[in-house]
Amino acid sequence: MVFNSLTFIVFFACVLGLHSLPLRWTTKKINLLVASYLFYAAWNPPFVILLWVSTVVDWYAAQGLVKAQRQTARHAWMLLSVVANLGMLGYFKYGQFLLDNFTALMSAIGIAYHPAHYDIVLPVGISFYTFATMSYTLDVYLRRALPARNFLDYALFVTFFPHLVAGPIMRPTELVPQFEQTRRATADQLRFGLALMTLGLFNKIVLADSFLSTVAERVYDSDRIPGALDAWAATFAFSGQIFCDFAGYSTTAIGAALCLGFAMPDNFRFPYAAVGFSDFWRRWHITLSSWLRDYLYIPLGGNRHGARRTYLALMVTMLLGGLWHGANWTFVAWGGLHGLYLSVERILRARFTSYRPGPVVFVLLGLLTYTLVNITWVFFRAKTFSKAWIVLRGMAGQNAATRPILATFSLLSVAAIVGALVVTHWLMRSRTLESVLARTPAAAVAVVWALMAFAIVIAQGAGSAFIYFQF
Amino acid sequence: MPSSISSSEVPGGVPDGAAQRDTRVPSGVHDRYARQTAADRPGVAQPVPVRPVPVQPWGRILLGVLALLALLVGGWEGYWRNFGVKPAYSNTYGLWAIQRRRIDAGEGNATVLVGASRVYYDIQLPVWERLDGHRPIQLAFEGTSPLAYLEDLAADPKFTGRVFVGVEPDLFFTGHEFRGGAVRYTRKESPSQYIGQWLSMRLIEPFLAFDDPDFALATVLERQPWPERPGKHVFPEPRKLGYREADRNSYVWDKVADDPEYHALWQRIWHENLQPSPDDPTPEEALKTERVQIARAASVVAKLRARGVKVLFVRMPSSGEYLAYENSSFPRARAWDKLLAASRAPGIYFEDYSELQGYYMPEWSHMTRTEAERFTAALYRVIIRDFWRPDGGSSTARTTAAR
Repeated sequence: MVFNSLTFIVFFACVLGLHSLPLRWTTKKINLLVASYLFYAAWNPPFVILLWVSTVVDWYAAQGLVKAQRQTARHAWMLLSVVANLGMLGYFKYGQFLLDNFTALMSAIGIAYHPAHYDIVLPVGISFYTFATMSYTLDVYLRRALPARNFLDYALFVTFFPHLVAGPIMRPTELVPQFEQTRRATADQLRFGLALMTLGLFNKIVLADSFLSTVAERVYDSDRIPGALDAWAATFAFSGQIFCDFAGYSTTAIGAALCLGFAMPDNFRFPYAAVGFSDFWRRWHITLSSWLRDYLYIPLGGNRHGARRTYLALMVTMLLGGLWHGANWTFVAWGGLHGLYLSVERILRARFTSYRPGPVVFVLLGLLTYTLVNITWVFFRAKTFSKAWIVLRGMAGQNAATRPILATFSLLSVAAIVGALVVTHWLMRSRTLESVLARTPAAAVAVVWALMAFAIVIAQGAGSAFIYFQF
Repeated sequence: MPSSISSSEVPGGVPDGAAQRDTRVPSGVHDRYARQTAADRPGVAQPVPVRPVPVQPWGRILLGVLALLALLVGGWEGYWRNFGVKPAYSNTYGLWAIQRRRIDAGEGNATVLVGASRVYYDIQLPVWERLDGHRPIQLAFEGTSPLAYLEDLAADPKFTGRVFVGVEPDLFFTGHEFRGGAVRYTRKESPSQYIGQWLSMRLIEPFLAFDDPDFALATVLERQPWPERPGKHVFPEPRKLGYREADRNSYVWDKVADDPEYHALWQRIWHENLQPSPDDPTPEEALKTERVQIARAASVVAKLRARGVKVLFVRMPSSGEYLAYENSSFPRARAWDKLLAASRAPGIYFEDYSELQGYYMPEWSHMTRTEAERFTAALYRVIIRDFWRPDGGSSTARTTAAR
């Protein structure tokens, strides 16, 4: 089920009620595990089996890793986990993509190959929970952690509903220890958790769904050729939409976990105030970028084997990171552009080691970063390369004979929301939400919280899925 | 006891304590709530996250929020009730799915109504039920050609009943689908969506008048008189037109007829939307689309009839500017007559029957509730007399071929 639904409100109220009963800790964990399976099954019950497969394979792989005496056996257990998880991901997420590309390749060399259509439904959140369970085996393999002591804690780590389908991608060391001891949210944790959930849902339902998504759709999903203003407005709208959608999900998830007494890590840190791309990736989807860094970039050599190997590792990591987002070459292009940006930044930093920008240049570099990030969003949002080129040509003012697509209200809403978003990110660049809240008068906190809740109610969201569910 | 998986147990890992409560401050961030993220700790096991609660009187804040929220929501509800709105069921895909599933649940021989908004506003199910003894299944959708829904019925062997196909020319012959996703939704409806629909119909929709897409925040803001962008004329979007009951029986809101301002607004909406637009297809494209839709209809009717399903096309009444627009854009001889000829199905063109004319349509397209009740009774009698005789026979006396 999605967080922005009536079903979830009722579900969450039941979970909270059950969790607050004076039951044994093990019983409470079983309740949470069952609730998490129900949460997942509410989309498509049979896909719970995949969750079980992923859970069981990695549990036994980690046990095998600990017992293995020889290095080859350790390799084998690690490979079992990686192959099982990536195999599942490959079959469900990339099967059709691989088949299409194979067909195109055959066609290019003159072989007419017409396979049957794959027609497989992508299980929600498979990219997230396969990465979470793989990190368990890989941490044990890399001797960073020991396996969980009991299966219940481990299964709950994989399945815990707040992070299950769209992250934050949690590491076992972050969550399993929390299940080992009795935890119950304090009254203030519960209230602050509810405030975070309101903030997250406000981002998703009001900003992303009610205002920004339609603007992006009107340009990106239309046959009309956009001029410069429409192309930029739609791309800015998407930049706001994807942040509000995904950061909104993460904030809601963090709030939901906190209501139950569990801590989840930050996934965003005001990314549109990033200066440079390494800074951007330390602020955007932190749990994915750090996962790719720890389990892909560093094993590929990282920066330990000379410049050429470093750039190769960087590009491979970002290209695969792009592909992780979806089975389409446009996502690979998105990742490739980010890899290119990171490489160029690395070269510039090496060449100008002593350069320290002044405040104006610093802000200008930040705006340049945001602009270049928007260029990458074109490939992320466009369904095809031809559409991406049309929008990019529009952004460059190169589309001839265009007619306005977006009305005044759309332009104003993008300017107001995305403008406010970017300014807020800059104001919060070196702060935390908690520190700002602590300094704000209680009455103001109450008014803003109530207004956000009111906006959620009157926005009448249609329960649309979060963008990252499709990944 | 330390966690079996905590990095504190790993040689060379993060020191004890930090693993459980990592409060080190990332570079460049200076406040008491600052904490590191995984971005600050490359290549190590990540410790249990820190999630501090800012110091505030959260209990009092929450009470204030609940009080203020109740006031705001109450005020919003009061505002729309004062505007004349009352609670009703939303026309969701979930509501449609409930009706569609009746066919799978033993009502495969029922009479099904497909079409666009005129079918669900002008055909009153209680009147039909009183005359027929059976309540039809209402599967029409506003702004949407019924062909996709007809194709869905044709593909369902459980359906063996009768289909009433409302024809609104500007939708039927263009294939326009404003709400075309109901079939897909019904097939893919998740347990969560099913439960959400069930809960909404019991906890929200019967009680809140503002729970209507016409009063959603973004919709209300968007229809304010914003200055027009040069070269971009904004056509007014249709406003709330009516109410729906649990089985999708619908009727036009009294305000459309009784409130002169709202009445005029609705007429202006149609007036503007019926004007030519630069986005309109060329006449050649429109004609091609029309032929495609007629071919689709012929194909789907053939499938249904092969299974013994009776199909009846009904050109639903319109008046005023709307009728003039339909007559000029989709002339009867070119569109309707060709539809009947191609599909070889019977049809009722409202202008052929005196008893189907002269009903009051305040905005030229939909009847008031009382008029719809009269129209339903008259139409039902025509249908039973000429097409779906109770003895099982049918006449095609009024088809184009016979005229």
